[in-house]
Amino acid sequence: MEPELAIGLPAVGAVITALLHPRPRAALVAGAVLGAAGIAAVLLAAPGLVSDQLGVSLSLSAMSRALLLAAAASLALIVAFPPPRADRSLLLTWGLAGIAGMAAIAAAPNLDDVILLTLAIALLHAAMGGRRPLAARLRAPALAVALLGAGLVFARLDGSQILARFAAIGLVAGLAAALGTLPYIHEFDPEELTATSPIAWIAFLGPILALAVITRAHELIPTAGAIFAAMLIGLGLLNVLWGGLASWLTEKGTSAWHYSFMADWGLALCAFGVLLVDGQAAAVLLLYGIVLSRLPLYLWSRQSMRESIQTDRPINLLAAAMLAGAAPFAGFAARLFLLRGATQLYWPLALVIGIGLLLWLPPSLRLGRSLGAPRGRQALGVGIALALSVAIGLYPQPILSLAGL
Amino acid sequence: MTGVAAFAAWLGAAMIVLADGRRGLALGIGLVAVGFTAIAWAGGVWLGGAFLLAGGAVAVIELLRSGPQDWGLMPAGSTPRLILAVAAAILSLWMAASVTTGPGASLRFASLAVLGLTAARLLQSKAAAPALTGAAGLAIALASASELSPNHPGFAPYLIAAVIAAGALLLPAARSNGA
Amino acid sequence: MAWGEDVTLCPSYTLNSRMPSIALLAPVAIPLATAGAVAICGVAGWKIDRIVLAAGAWLAILALIALWAPVRSTQDLGLGQLGFSTPSELRLDAVGFAFGLMVLVPAAVLLTLQPRPWQEGTVAALAVAAAVLAVESGGVILTAVAGGAAATLAIVQLDVEDPKASRPPWGVLLAAWLALSWVGAILQVRSGTALYSAVPVSALTVPVFMLLAAAALIASGLYPWRGWASQLWGRPALRSAGLVVATLYPLGFYLLVRAYEMGDGRYPQSWMQAALAAIGVLVAFGAAVRAQGASTRREYLGEVIPGLGGFALIGISLGTPLGLVAGLATLAVAAVLAAGLPLLPDRAGPASLVVIAAAAGLPPGLAFGVRVLGLEAAFEAGNPLGLIGIGAAATWMVSIIAAARAVGLPAGRGHPASETKPRVAMGLAGATVIAGPALGLVLAVLATPAQAVVMPAPAGSTVGGLTSVVTVSTVLPALALFAPVLLLAVVGYIYGGTMSVRTQPRSPLFVLPGTDRLARLREEMRAATVPAQYRSLVDLRALEAAATGGGPLLWLAALVALAFAVTR
Repeated sequence: MEPELAIGLPAVGAVITALLHPRPRAALVAGAVLGAAGIAAVLLAAPGLVSDQLGVSLSLSAMSRALLLAAAASLALIVAFPPPRADRSLLLTWGLAGIAGMAAIAAAPNLDDVILLTLAIALLHAAMGGRRPLAARLRAPALAVALLGAGLVFARLDGSQILARFAAIGLVAGLAAALGTLPYIHEFDPEELTATSPIAWIAFLGPILALAVITRAHELIPTAGAIFAAMLIGLGLLNVLWGGLASWLTEKGTSAWHYSFMADWGLALCAFGVLLVDGQAAAVLLLYGIVLSRLPLYLWSRQSMRESIQTDRPINLLAAAMLAGAAPFAGFAARLFLLRGATQLYWPLALVIGIGLLLWLPPSLRLGRSLGAPRGRQALGVGIALALSVAIGLYPQPILSLAGL
Repeated sequence: MTGVAAFAAWLGAAMIVLADGRRGLALGIGLVAVGFTAIAWAGGVWLGGAFLLAGGAVAVIELLRSGPQDWGLMPAGSTPRLILAVAAAILSLWMAASVTTGPGASLRFASLAVLGLTAARLLQSKAAAPALTGAAGLAIALASASELSPNHPGFAPYLIAAVIAAGALLLPAARSNGA
Repeated sequence: MAWGEDVTLCPSYTLNSRMPSIALLAPVAIPLATAGAVAICGVAGWKIDRIVLAAGAWLAILALIALWAPVRSTQDLGLGQLGFSTPSELRLDAVGFAFGLMVLVPAAVLLTLQPRPWQEGTVAALAVAAAVLAVESGGVILTAVAGGAAATLAIVQLDVEDPKASRPPWGVLLAAWLALSWVGAILQVRSGTALYSAVPVSALTVPVFMLLAAAALIASGLYPWRGWASQLWGRPALRSAGLVVATLYPLGFYLLVRAYEMGDGRYPQSWMQAALAAIGVLVAFGAAVRAQGASTRREYLGEVIPGLGGFALIGISLGTPLGLVAGLATLAVAAVLAAGLPLLPDRAGPASLVVIAAAAGLPPGLAFGVRVLGLEAAFEAGNPLGLIGIGAAATWMVSIIAAARAVGLPAGRGHPASETKPRVAMGLAGATVIAGPALGLVLAVLATPAQAVVMPAPAGSTVGGLTSVVTVSTVLPALALFAPVLLLAVVGYIYGGTMSVRTQPRSPLFVLPGTDRLARLREEMRAATVPAQYRSLVDLRALEAAATGGGPLLWLAALVALAFAVTR
């Protein structure tokens, strides 16, 4: 019953929190309780154990469980230490809805269901409103769904061997389009609310979706596995380069953050393409970094970016170090795993990745300064994010064990 | 029989691409739903087919119930769309009948054609109703394509697709003025 | 040990009857706890953070000595599986002890004597903890993580003190520790382990060693040109600069020393010893050239540490026990001076005179003794290393000339008086001079045990005892020779009377040909821009707009490109 509860409880929590919006405290309490219950169900779900209570076989893998927990922790951090002037109950509503969607994707029995759920989430996300028209907001995610679907169709067709390659192309391109990485960057309005912007795809929903697609892709197209992995690495390197440079050179601060997510995803895609345990470990740690570190810091920096405040205090520099993947933060451990995996696979790849890693620094300094001078609860939140990152960076074993690695 | 159904599905997708008006879109999504339902029933997937039909029906009713009622078929400047619809049909037919082997050529043709055309509609449209109709058609095609899997996918894809098809046009943004 | 094999170390066990091995954490845990305490004091508004910092730093030194002195042999503490696929362990051996002191002693002096805001103090304490962890680590991976953390915290320290003043390029430092982590990864892949004591010699191949050496050189800024270790002395305040040099500078040398352990007492190829020693000469010579061309005394003093570093690199790279001992002892001298230099005010006086004399390596100081040993080791090694010895000797001569010239230079821009303690600076420098006759004792306590860990000497040979140093061809009776010189120096100082020095700008002894051109080239490269007529080709804004515009055509083109690439 746990997978069903993992989906249902956050979904119900989202609905109730939305209904109770005129009474914020009640909404927060209700949402928190139901969300916590949902995460408890995630924790209690035995990895790989199938549950058939609703006539559909649902199960959560170890890695998806780990990522769901990261997403929940991130949501808890953001709601407990909200950005200035943010509506906490609204944040909680969107967050719980997102987690319900992620849990559904994670528990789905096959890729068909994953793709359809993604389409449903895309529609709901587009309908949430925002500065861009619905058709513009739906364009990229819908293309992602179509590409993933086409990939899936090609994977199932009998015929020439080239069909497996087309399948790999569809899956990789679809994944890139869903995440919003190069070359399928989602249209981005820097003034848009985070929950309704492409950041929700790249930083919240993206990790679990990527995991769902990639783990199933290996079973679907065994003959094109090497090509699939090579494309992931190629796209990954492209995003590392683009994300790093664009984040450094772009004019707007919010765009710089957006590109920094792409750079991190570039590394994560490379890690997924390294078909070894070290690659998977690196991917998990990188995704943890995106969800637990980069996303909350982005939210906390929005207000100071609006006011064009840049500060150089210790907390800004430590945040910059965390974002740059410097030791002792989690990003450094992830890079270590990635370098090891790449060395086993093909050592020049490790060299290229290593050189690419140096591109993180200039933009990270910029992003760290854009955090401004966090005060009160926000400063505490930043401190907790930094501490978590240090803990994971020095002792990644618990996270890796949780992810089944 | 399945060939006719597949053709109907393609025709429906082509209508979605070529029509800017709600009636034209309704006809398109209706044809898509009917076509894939027939294919599903021909394959013995009764429940799944029923779901698709229900979802498509709700979408049609919602399109006809609200908003300005016009056909908007092949407005000025839609020649590229017409070419796209024809090219998609030819390409999908070639893939289904020649490049790929095995039974279920109709399903293959319909899936590829509708996938491609609805995706193109989503990329190209600027208004909400055509985009949402395209999304509904995409969902129906994806659900039907799940039958290509060697393992029976169960009723879940059909149910989700039906909910999407029905729900997409119920979204508040679908009731915008214009097509 | 096979790759991927899960190896769990035994739980900690007591190595002697008094100290459980968990106590090995103390030299790291104490500075960490100190950082926390300082932060609490700062936030609470209690003005005792400097006392806490001082107490913590000295307590860490005491802990280190208390751990080492009774046992004087290698102690391990298994940390279990941290998640890096091999067991992580802490290790305190003679190398760790020596480098631990080199980091902790100058840090303790500076943290005690220089007032700083609590935020800087917190970051400084964390940096000290990270540096100590780096030298207490039992393997490459943990050293890379800890060293990288120390580098990060050093940058944070410097930026917090003064974001506009010069600091080491962060990217370069990060590159060094990333390179080291790659070395660790390669060792794990090739041999299943990255622990210093367990890496098989065959795993330390030429490319791997070159990567490690590059990481070491970059980590310590060992370049023939002006590196961060000298640039830092140009900052308006020298609080963080001194600490950064104390915590970061020794780490690169630490890696080169540990490389001997992994290579069973030598580097993979003998030409590597010569190459690194040659780099050492270039580093020292570069520092000497810049020192003799300095326009202020502060500028001259900024080249002291790099100069000593160059000589240390020569000694360490020679591959002989004597050379290694000389190199380690040179580093010890550099550590003491690293404590004293930031405390020196920018004005003429006996303090700066004594410091200059100590740094220049005038007899009978320790700096003199270790340089003599280093040169002796180079000549005894023979062949190209002998030539390197000649180069080192010439460099020393230039550095002595630079020191003599520096006595009459104007002081410099000045740094806050509150962070200077001229008597302490003079005392520290004086101590290195007075300790010259005790060279044998210094080697016996610090350097020789460390050499024995990483480079077992041939049977029957020793580097000497407490009063003399034994080389291959001779014996240097340090006590007998240097003590009378010291007495003479003391008598001369007492009866010499006051000496007035008229400070004035002085022209350099020589200018290296081509340095002007190099400096001009560097400036031109920095100022380079895309010519105006080509700027439209590199319109980044248009490129960004095209990439992020959500254009279906771009997406379709990307899909076609992917299909083309994959189906070739």
